[in-house]
Amino acid sequence: MCGSGSYREMGVIHLKERTFKGHRIAKGKAEGEALVSQDRFSFWGTVDLHTGVVHERGHDLKGVCIKDKILIYPTGKGSGGGSARLYSLIRAGLGPKAILNVKAEVVTIIGAIMGNIPMMDQFEMDPTEIIQTGDYVHVDADNGRIEIIKKHGG
Amino acid sequence: MLDGGSGYPVQKSMEILVALGEAYDADVMIPVNHVHLATGAILVAGDGWSKFIREMADSGGRMVVRATTNPSSIDPLIHKELGISNTLAENQMRYSENLGRLGAVLCHTCAPYLIGFIPRMGEHIVSGESSNIAYMNSVLGVRTERAGAPLGLAAALTGRIPYYGLYETEKRRGDVLIRVKATLSDPADFGLLGHCIGDRLTDAIPVFDGLPLSSPNEALKQLGAALNSSGAVPLFHIVGVTPEAPTLEAAFQGITADRILEITGKDLAETRQYLNSTTGAPNWIALGCPHASIWEIRELMDRLDGRRIHGDVEFWVCAAEPVRTYAERMGYRSALEKSGVKIVCETCPAIAPADEIASRLGKETVMATNSAKLAHYMPSEWGIKSLYGSTQACVEAAVTGKWG
Repeated sequence: MCGSGSYREMGVIHLKERTFKGHRIAKGKAEGEALVSQDRFSFWGTVDLHTGVVHERGHDLKGVCIKDKILIYPTGKGSGGGSARLYSLIRAGLGPKAILNVKAEVVTIIGAIMGNIPMMDQFEMDPTEIIQTGDYVHVDADNGRIEIIKKHGG
Repeated sequence: MLDGGSGYPVQKSMEILVALGEAYDADVMIPVNHVHLATGAILVAGDGWSKFIREMADSGGRMVVRATTNPSSIDPLIHKELGISNTLAENQMRYSENLGRLGAVLCHTCAPYLIGFIPRMGEHIVSGESSNIAYMNSVLGVRTERAGAPLGLAAALTGRIPYYGLYETEKRRGDVLIRVKATLSDPADFGLLGHCIGDRLTDAIPVFDGLPLSSPNEALKQLGAALNSSGAVPLFHIVGVTPEAPTLEAAFQGITADRILEITGKDLAETRQYLNSTTGAPNWIALGCPHASIWEIRELMDRLDGRRIHGDVEFWVCAAEPVRTYAERMGYRSALEKSGVKIVCETCPAIAPADEIASRLGKETVMATNSAKLAHYMPSEWGIKSLYGSTQACVEAAVTGKWG
């Protein structure tokens, strides 16, 4: 136990707390299944515009669909085309329900604001470490907090 | 503006700007002089954004700031010859027309600085297009943050941007010192350098010490593009070359570098390996990412030296329209066309319908290019394998039909 609010036992993260504070980037509330990546994400280059499926070579989410997920990754990257693309994905119903980053970058921020999905960053912990794919997450960007319901463990 | 008094387009724009300002803890908005709009291409925008642009134009939206546009998905003059479908061409033309109705000048280029759109050092602009942002900030000392199309549009409709990030002098300070221990002999080598360190930097600002003072602008163009393909690096400094780095001390604003990175020939070789995602004969060769200068077009003509390219090869050199006009004036265009090379304007393989073009080529499409950006994006966006090398390597491959 390291006193950081969680401990790892046989690959499963146990949380002492479920609610964590973060910084609001784009307003709103959403909830859904977490999809967690350790890789950076670009909305032009990483994910297919017509299917919402990740197609970037070497990406740890390759083959996975981001539709309706609470998408969690370190930070964005790549071309400015990503803003309009994220907007188009959301408008077509293929976008994530919310985006949580360690540190947000502007191309994604603008797409999230345009597409009216909540987005947060700068949490009191690293969301890519604490949250695992399959966990259920409540995002309340308006009040700067998230709640995690672990798929496994407590 | 926020209460809708200036109409829906301005209201929506202010919502975006205010939300962005809050996200970045910006206290004020500043006026901007120029907006280079990202997402000039219908294939990048998608249906949703194209509809939004039409809705903005229909509801009376008009830009109050000078605006130019990023590349398109078609060459307006030769799209049929390139094998682009009429449907797509029409969708693009409608999208462009609506951007024009909003007030943008449709230059459709990623290198507007090559055709006379050159802000002053210190001037505040808003630009999309990561290679343009890098060039503007770094080579011209212009101030811009990275702006996707919705932000660019919002700034163009209101004339404002939140004062944050690279608009602030302190934020433009270098973070990481890069010692380059390799010889860079071709702009393509600068692309290797950029791609190599791009993803090691996250959002740190690199300061290059020891690069040749006579490095041509085309090399700096490649460096910026590549830095933003593997990473997101909107500003770099080159000591003695770029305006905010007359000295090492100036680049770091008097503060010692956070860290030092050394790049050797071995690192560049590893990057070259990564960017060569295949072996095998290239049948689509593309130069001009970012868009070519007239000097690059002339250099290509000189390297070809009247030789005809191989029958199986499609060869594009991409540029803005005015550059093709110069090429025509100087006889470069007809010389290149005699060799089988096409000067393709306003677009490039990454954002044109590469699948439609590739299907004309018969066998499996393999691209060869001297652009790290293109070599990075063609496999990930189109599934088209890429080969990466110098301009000369690309020319030889075009003539022989073989790589290396």
